Order: sequence, then C-alpha cells, then structure tokens
Amino acid sequence: MTETGRISRRRFLGGLGAAGAGAGLGAVAVAAHAQPPDPVPGGSGVGAGARVDFHGVHQAGIGTASQDRLAFAAFDVTTKDADALRRVLTDWTAAAVAMTRGVPVPGSSSDPIAPPADTGEARGLPPSALTVTVGFGPSLFDERFGLASRRPAALEPIPALPGDELQPQRVGGDLVIQACSNDPQVAFHVIRNLARIGSGSVAMRWSQLGFGRTSATSVTQSTPRNLMGFKDGTRNIRGEDTAAMDKHVWVGDESDQDWMRGGTYLVSRRIRMLVESWDRDYLADQQAVFGRHKDSGAPLTGTDEFDVPDYHAKGADGETVIAQDAHIRLVSPENNDGLTILRRGFSYTDGIDDIGLLDAGLFFIAFQQDPRKQFVPLQRKIGRVDALNEYIKHTGSGVWACPPGLPDDTRTWADQLFA
Amino acid sequence: MTAARLTTATVAAAAAACLILTGCSNSDDAASAGAKKIAVKVTDQGCAAEPATAEAGALTFEVTNTDAKRVTEAEVLKDGKILGEKENLTPGLSGTFTLRLEPGEYVVLCPNAATDQSPFTVTAAKGATAAASVDADLASSVATYKAYLEDQTAQLTAQTEKFVAAVKAGDVAKAKALFAPTRAYYERIEPVAESFGDLDPQIDARVNDVDPGDEWTGFHKLEKALWADGSLDGTGPVADKLLTDVKDLESKVTTVELAPEQIANGAVGLLDEVAKSKITGEEDRYSHTDLWDFAANVAGAREAVDVLAPTLRAKDAALLTTINGQFKDVLASLSQYQTADGYEDYSAVTDDQRRTMTTQVNALAESLSKVAPLIA
Repeated sequence: MTETGRISRRRFLGGLGAAGAGAGLGAVAVAAHAQPPDPVPGGSGVGAGARVDFHGVHQAGIGTASQDRLAFAAFDVTTKDADALRRVLTDWTAAAVAMTRGVPVPGSSSDPIAPPADTGEARGLPPSALTVTVGFGPSLFDERFGLASRRPAALEPIPALPGDELQPQRVGGDLVIQACSNDPQVAFHVIRNLARIGSGSVAMRWSQLGFGRTSATSVTQSTPRNLMGFKDGTRNIRGEDTAAMDKHVWVGDESDQDWMRGGTYLVSRRIRMLVESWDRDYLADQQAVFGRHKDSGAPLTGTDEFDVPDYHAKGADGETVIAQDAHIRLVSPENNDGLTILRRGFSYTDGIDDIGLLDAGLFFIAFQQDPRKQFVPLQRKIGRVDALNEYIKHTGSGVWACPPGLPDDTRTWADQLFA
Repeated sequence: MTAARLTTATVAAAAAACLILTGCSNSDDAASAGAKKIAVKVTDQGCAAEPATAEAGALTFEVTNTDAKRVTEAEVLKDGKILGEKENLTPGLSGTFTLRLEPGEYVVLCPNAATDQSPFTVTAAKGATAAASVDADLASSVATYKAYLEDQTAQLTAQTEKFVAAVKAGDVAKAKALFAPTRAYYERIEPVAESFGDLDPQIDARVNDVDPGDEWTGFHKLEKALWADGSLDGTGPVADKLLTDVKDLESKVTTVELAPEQIANGAVGLLDEVAKSKITGEEDRYSHTDLWDFAANVAGAREAVDVLAPTLRAKDAALLTTINGQFKDVLASLSQYQTADGYEDYSAVTDDQRRTMTTQVNALAESLSKVAPLIA
C-alpha cells in the first residue's frame, strides 16, 4: 500500500469521533434517493426458470438483470483458416440460441455409437434466465483472418495499470463467452459445449466461475454484498435507464466501425481479495476504505444506502468524512466528470493458493462505450490511490468488443464479425 | 490401462443393435448429405410423415411443432422399437433426425396426440449399388485392420520374448533398451487388448491400478525393477507370466469380431489414452518413456483412420481432410523429441508444450469421434 493510504487511515483512526458528527451532517443532507428503494429484496428480477430472449437490438447478459451465477471463458483461435473460425461462430450461435431456450445443442444425442452432440448435464433443467454473450478481443483483429480493417479504435489492449499483478495465464483471449444463469450447471454447460464445438479451431485459454452476483443491473434488484461484506455499486447504471445505457454503455455513432453500433466493450479484471488481511482489519477502517457503513450500505455521510454521498462534509478534525482515498469517492461520477460504467461482476473462489491462502475475490466485469475513456482512466486513477488497494490485487485482465444483438435466426456472430 | 473401452459385451450389443435397425445409421450429421427429406408436422390431433412412402436409404425427418401444446416430440419406430426421435419441441421449435432405413413398414409416433400413430412405408431403392460398394469397402477395411492387429500382436510376442530373455538373464541395460520399443506394439492396439477382460490389467497395470491383495504383474512391474529398484532379483516369474499373457493376447486377437465403428471408436480410445496418461507423464513414471507410448497410440489411431479412409472419403471428405491435418499437427509436435532410436525422456517436455500437445490431441480425438456414426 502507498504511503498516502497509510497516512490517511491513521488520520481516520484519530478522528473516530468525527465519524458520528459526519453521519449527522449526512442526515441533514438526506437528498432524494439516487435510486428508488428495491422492490424485490435479493431477487434477481426474473423467475428462476425464466427464458431471456437471445435475440434483440443488444446482446442479452449486459443490460438485462444480472443472474446469480457466471461461467466465463476466454478462447484462443488456433486455426489459421478464416472459414473454420466462421464455422465455429456460426455453430456457437445456433448452440447459444438452443441453450438459452432450454433445449439441447443441435445434433443427434441419441445415436448409440456416436458421442451425444449435447453433453447432457442441463437436460431437464430450465434455462434459469440463461444469457450467452460473445466478445471479440483485440488480438483477433491481427493479420490472421483479414480483420485488421474491422478493428474498432476503442478496442485496444488494456495498458499496464498501477497495481497490476497479472498472471499471464489469466489475461486476454481472441474470443470470450460470458454465460450467466441462476443455475450454475446451466451456465457451465454453455462453456463446456462451446469449447467442444470449437475444438480443433479454438482452444480455451482460461476460464472463471462466479458463484454470486455483486451488482444490481435492474431496478428490480437490490445491491448485493461483495466478499468484503460491503454493498459496492449502489449507484450502478440500471438496464432500464435507457438514457444512461445509451450515453455510457452502448456504442453509437461515435464509433469508427458501423458493425459495433448497438454493441459495447467488456472489460474483465480478476480482482483477488486478500481475505485474511481484510478480515482482521477493524470495522471503522473497513468502512473508511469504502466510504460506506458496512451494515446499512449508507455512505458515511448518510443513513440510507441510496443517500447521495456528501464528499464535502467535514468532521470535527477538519478532514472530509469520506476520506480522500475512499473507494466511493474515487470512482464516483461526480469526481470523474460524470464518467461511469455498467458493472456486472461476480464473486469467485478457486480454493486456496499454493501457500494456503484463500484465493477469492471479485471477478469484475464492466460494460462501456469506450474503455479508453472509461475503465482505463478510472482504474489508472484508483490503482494509484484507492485505500482498497492494500487488500486487493488484479490478477487477470481482458477486453473484448461485444457486437450488437442478433435480430433472428437468420444472422450469426460470424456474419457480424466478417460482414 | 483404463476401464475396458471395447468390451466383448459392447461388441455383442452393437452387433445386435445393427440387426434390429437393419442398416443401422442414425445421426443428424451422418448420412444427411443427399438424404431425402420427410416432413413431420406435429399437432395436438396427430402427426404424419409427408410423403408417407420413401425409397430405402438415408431419410431426414424434419419435425415441426407450430402450435401443439400437448405433443412435443415425434419418433420413428419399427416393431415397437424407437429408431430415431426428436424431443422437447415446444411450440415454434423444429428439429431433424436422419435414419438409414431398409424397406419395410414403420410407424411415426407422437405421444399424447389424439391420434398418436401413422404408418410410414419404405420401398426398395432403385439404384442400390452405391450402398453395396460402401459395404464392400467397409468389409475390406475390417479385414485390413484385423490383419494389422494380428501383425502387431505377433511382433509383440516376438519382442516380448527378447525382453523377457534379457530380464531373466539379469541384463539390466539390455532390458531397459528393449522396454519401450516392445511396449509400442502393445500401445498401438491397446483398446482391442482391453476388450479381453483381465489381460490388459495383467499386462499393463500401473501399481495404483491393482486392488489390495491382488498381485501386480506386467510391464510396469518390470519397469519399476529396472529403473527404480535397479535390480531384477525375483522378477523371473513376472517375466514368464508377461510372456504367457502376451501369447494369450495374440491367440485371442485372431478370434475377435470387429465392426467398422469399433475401429473408429478404438482410435478415439487411443487418443484418450494419450491425453489421460501419456501427456501427464504418469504412464511410465519410472522410465519416462511416455513419448514412445504416445507415438504408438497415435500410430494405432492413424492406422484405424487409414483403413477406414475410403468410406470416410465418400461420406465426408472434409472431415477426413481435417483429421489428416490434425494428425500432422500432433506428429509435428512429437517429432521435436525424436532421437536416433526413439524418443527423448519425458522430462524434456515443458509445461507449455504439454498444453499445446493436449490441445492438438483433443482436437484430433474430437474429430475422430465423428467417424463412427458416419460409417456404421
């Protein structure tokens, strides 16, 4: 952790009494709720067995209500044959359509002497709000498939950022599949079957399971807690807010590539939490790190989760109640010229590492109109000064262009990529 | 060794299934090229094939459900046995399945409909010569592969005699030199050896495959003596038993009945062996001669594809091209480790290279898994 962080937190320790005063100030400043209170506490906003339409103006799995489970996989294209890649994307589309409808992937699964076309573990399970979202990485637009001229300017590899401790085996990928469902087996079924369908032309580079959503992306959802026990992302963009989606998430006329209009860019970061250290940090410091009360989720200047944080309110010691290096201050649109992103991440754990520490944290996923202007500057800023940095490290990273939605069965992901 | 892949029981079952299906092909991918299309519309009232009569051969049934609420599947049956079906067709969905049908009376069934059955008639095909030529090709493929099996087991016996003689003479250096090349004959045909009950475990078990109380025998026990113990003391009876078991295998192979699809699925089995125990370096844990086995497994799979190639080329030339390309990739990786008389120690293979080879082997195996339904 940087020296600045340590100093500010000592300062906070000295000003414990002031926090109460700050809360009082916040109470005075209770403004209109930034978001309406949640009508479906803890709900996902969709019935457990529901179908989410695969077809539409935008891909599902972005502005649609976040499901509870994630299966995420990045792939390398191993073939050098553009037609083979085209076939994979065509077959993937058909399989994704089938799976989101809750039916087996196309092909025979009943021939005794052939392996079944569908691996079968989702049979009898409802689609459970399954969405399958595809993305194309910067590396796909090299010389291999003649796609260089179709690469959107906004699709640049994520540059080195402060605080990176990236593991090469968890970075990048030519293609990505995000499968979300309320049933983990239904989500896993997707990446397993797509990997198999693509075998020989694409190979899985890395994959990540997420066991619980950490974001609300619909007004029907309450803000879940992350593995640090905090509500983070209270002021996330909601899919129903079409003005905000159009402004911050969906690609519009500003893009240099027509084919990306209605699409978006996915940035993923595997953010490992140093759980053991966090769990022995005292409560006031945990709250100072986020700038929120752990229990209610309210900003330290308020009493309700949806109170607008008052970044100017000062305590008796003359310091701001929400510390200068508090997470919510650094990422808030007010302090970033209105800049914001749609967060749609999941908690993950991969057991323990080779020295016996829990490997758990946030598999951060964000969607935005232009990562160069949104995620990258935001992370460059917080990666240097955020108090949270003492308890996290970024171990994986990737960026992909997610094309717009497909209107119907006549079009495929291959058509979008190759035109 | 693994659980038997081609047990004699499955041999019998596959043969029986073929008799029942009288022609025996059922796949959406297989045979659908050039197949005649039969429409089956599912309603709550019933379902019928359109047309209701067709010539023998590959027939693709296209099942559609526009608005039936109670009926969500259609099946084709003969004598009460389901030959093919499409399930889970909720309103608005459609699906297909392909069958190769012989002349006869069949039934189209849609469970839960008011009238749930309608007849479907298959008449003799006018030009049945193409099918006859495929059958002749396949018969010749089976004969060729059978000869390969017999040749490999005969050479296995001859090599094992030399290896066993070296072991019994206490000649550690010579036995070590003969170990990997002898096993190669076994590894090329392993899925077939696995069909003979206890023979595979007796010849090829690793120590952890042996049940407590059972005696560990075979190649790997001698491997341990040669490389880990550095002593052949007391291994005479193990060597003798190995030779007996190998000779037993050689005589049993002459009686084996093979179907073409078993040759194809045996090739998949060989590559699964590579992916499961050779790439991990687990098979030859004392001698690190895994690459010899790897190469032998791949060679055995190559032979299986070569004998089936005439039929495969006729059924799906693109798949054969893909498979040939994938064999080339695997062999290119292997050749990096080739030495004057064999292969390098497995520790020469880095983690990155293991990953590359795994991807290549899995891609090839996935393609090979599509062969059996095409040729059956």
